[in-house]
Amino acid sequence: MYTLGIDIGSASSKAVILRDDGEVAGQAVIPVGTGTTGPERALREAFAQAGIAPEDVGRTIVTGYGRVTWQGADRQVSEITCHARGVLHRMPEARTIIDIGGQDVKAIEVDPDRGFVRNFVMNDKCAAGTGRFLEVMARVLGLEVEGLAEVSETSARTVSISSICTVFAESEVISHLSRGEAVPDVLAGIHQSVAKRVAGLVSRLGVRPPVVLTGGVAKNRGVVRALEKELKTEIRIAHSCQLTGALGAALLAREDLSKI
Amino acid sequence: MSGEKRIRAILAGLAVVAARPGEAAQRLTREKGKPLVGVLPYYAPEEIAHAAGMLPVGVWGGTADASMAGHYFPPFACPLVKSALDLALRGVYDGLAAMIVPALCESLTFFGQNFRAARPDIPFVPVVHPQNRRTPEGVAYLRAEYEKVRDRLAEIAGREVTAADLDRAIGIFNDHRRAMRAFLEEAPRHPSLVSPRVRHAVAKSAYYMDKADHAALVGELTGLLKSLPEESGAGKRVVVTGIMAEPEGLLDLFEEVGLEIAADDLAQESRAFRTDVPDGGDPLERLARRWSLVEGCSLAFDPGKERNRILLDLVRNSGARGLVVLMMQFCDPEEMDYPLYRKEFDAAGVPVLHLEVEPRMSLEQARTRLQSFAEMI
Repeated sequence: MYTLGIDIGSASSKAVILRDDGEVAGQAVIPVGTGTTGPERALREAFAQAGIAPEDVGRTIVTGYGRVTWQGADRQVSEITCHARGVLHRMPEARTIIDIGGQDVKAIEVDPDRGFVRNFVMNDKCAAGTGRFLEVMARVLGLEVEGLAEVSETSARTVSISSICTVFAESEVISHLSRGEAVPDVLAGIHQSVAKRVAGLVSRLGVRPPVVLTGGVAKNRGVVRALEKELKTEIRIAHSCQLTGALGAALLAREDLSKI
Repeated sequence: MSGEKRIRAILAGLAVVAARPGEAAQRLTREKGKPLVGVLPYYAPEEIAHAAGMLPVGVWGGTADASMAGHYFPPFACPLVKSALDLALRGVYDGLAAMIVPALCESLTFFGQNFRAARPDIPFVPVVHPQNRRTPEGVAYLRAEYEKVRDRLAEIAGREVTAADLDRAIGIFNDHRRAMRAFLEEAPRHPSLVSPRVRHAVAKSAYYMDKADHAALVGELTGLLKSLPEESGAGKRVVVTGIMAEPEGLLDLFEEVGLEIAADDLAQESRAFRTDVPDGGDPLERLARRWSLVEGCSLAFDPGKERNRILLDLVRNSGARGLVVLMMQFCDPEEMDYPLYRKEFDAAGVPVLHLEVEPRMSLEQARTRLQSFAEMI
């Protein structure tokens, strides 16, 4: 019997199908989230990859921002629990998990004895330090989000971005560009700005290494390096970093089945 | 009517009062034929208004857009007082015989000054509580403040307020506090009847009903609840602390994610009913001595930081698995206390969820936090 985890975020939809033995049979990431065709497309892709039909799934758990409105799951679980479960499955040594999602950032402290969430903090009312912030800045710089890391690697110096607010930061970036600052240097400043916001949040929880980063922003090496500098510790990237929430959901569905 | 049916009828009636406090207050003044006096939080001597033949009603703001108050307050002002001033500017408090405004925090002090300028037609009755509240001088000072409140309200009411009037009012309010404490102790044993929203409505309705009437209803309710067997309760129990548990949609989220309220330490709820006016002697002095007996409240100077122990004991003694802090946005007194008791809770290994609240907050992030907390504890 297969189990399915689906993570419907604000910016992307993710699905993971697990076999009986816990191995991944199919997985998919679609870059549009709740309120779009993303969840259905992610499911179609994951089912096609696994070579199974929806009837073959014994239990489904949904997580993420769109978890409450999505119909079709047996139950819904918060993304904080699911990310912790997904990361610990592959990296049981993790003690602090940072998830940078489309519109929020979560820092999770893991209990080393129980292997589960001990404490967490989330950003509040402000998208600074999230994936959406990077999307806005990429648009101003005329770059694709996927290419940000590569461009920032060519930076010679960091042009500091002092505004916290996404809207004001956008104006500040435009003014730097109009003064002739190089795009890679401004981008390095943007990455540093994200890292400072995230580090500020994580410091409320306390940094306990090993620190593991999940979410789409984890694919951006520029942010990872800036965050390592701010937190003064090595950051490990979760395997299939965008899929840890969906994986955690699928694992919890598997545990549910074992209790039935 | 069966016990359970009567319980549901009482709770439904109190829920209507809590949901529409303005209408309830108008009904109250019509039925009792007495004028209404607005009372801002916290620890105002409502008994004096009652003794003057008036009906004190709570002024705790609302959830409407507070754009008109923006003329008087900056964006980072306490949403409670900002909303209360906005309602005053929109005419919601027209017809009040007076507005009693304690100055227990900076926001309330600013509210008082702004209210005075914005609505000079509504008599403004300030009260300044001393923070050196346990010294004889502090009690004497507060008694003098209350004397001024008595004289001002007597002038507005056009009648004398005697010691006997005050003693009678103190008796009614103490009876009401006892009734509320008994209800709040019994409520957690019946989570399917007394959900977090219903529990809040019982407490909130106290501010918009005659105290004796409310005490009688709550007393009957508690008696009926006690006659029912204790429910096993499928949810996870928590204690809530802060100023108030609003917006009410937040309390629906507690229910949605399976959190039950074992006890509260909210200024609008248990803290308001925790301390009785002591017996014996001059009634104004007894009222002043009540302030000296208040413990574990962010608004009352607490050099030994007793609140840390009181909160931790409350969680442990109520069988709660954790503490949910409903932190009123821009509330300096509550924010000052938080790091201190948080440290004690962390050291004791008791989980704490910090949730910033404001009347018009988005509930989406709150849902994720409350659900994650419920899954964690």
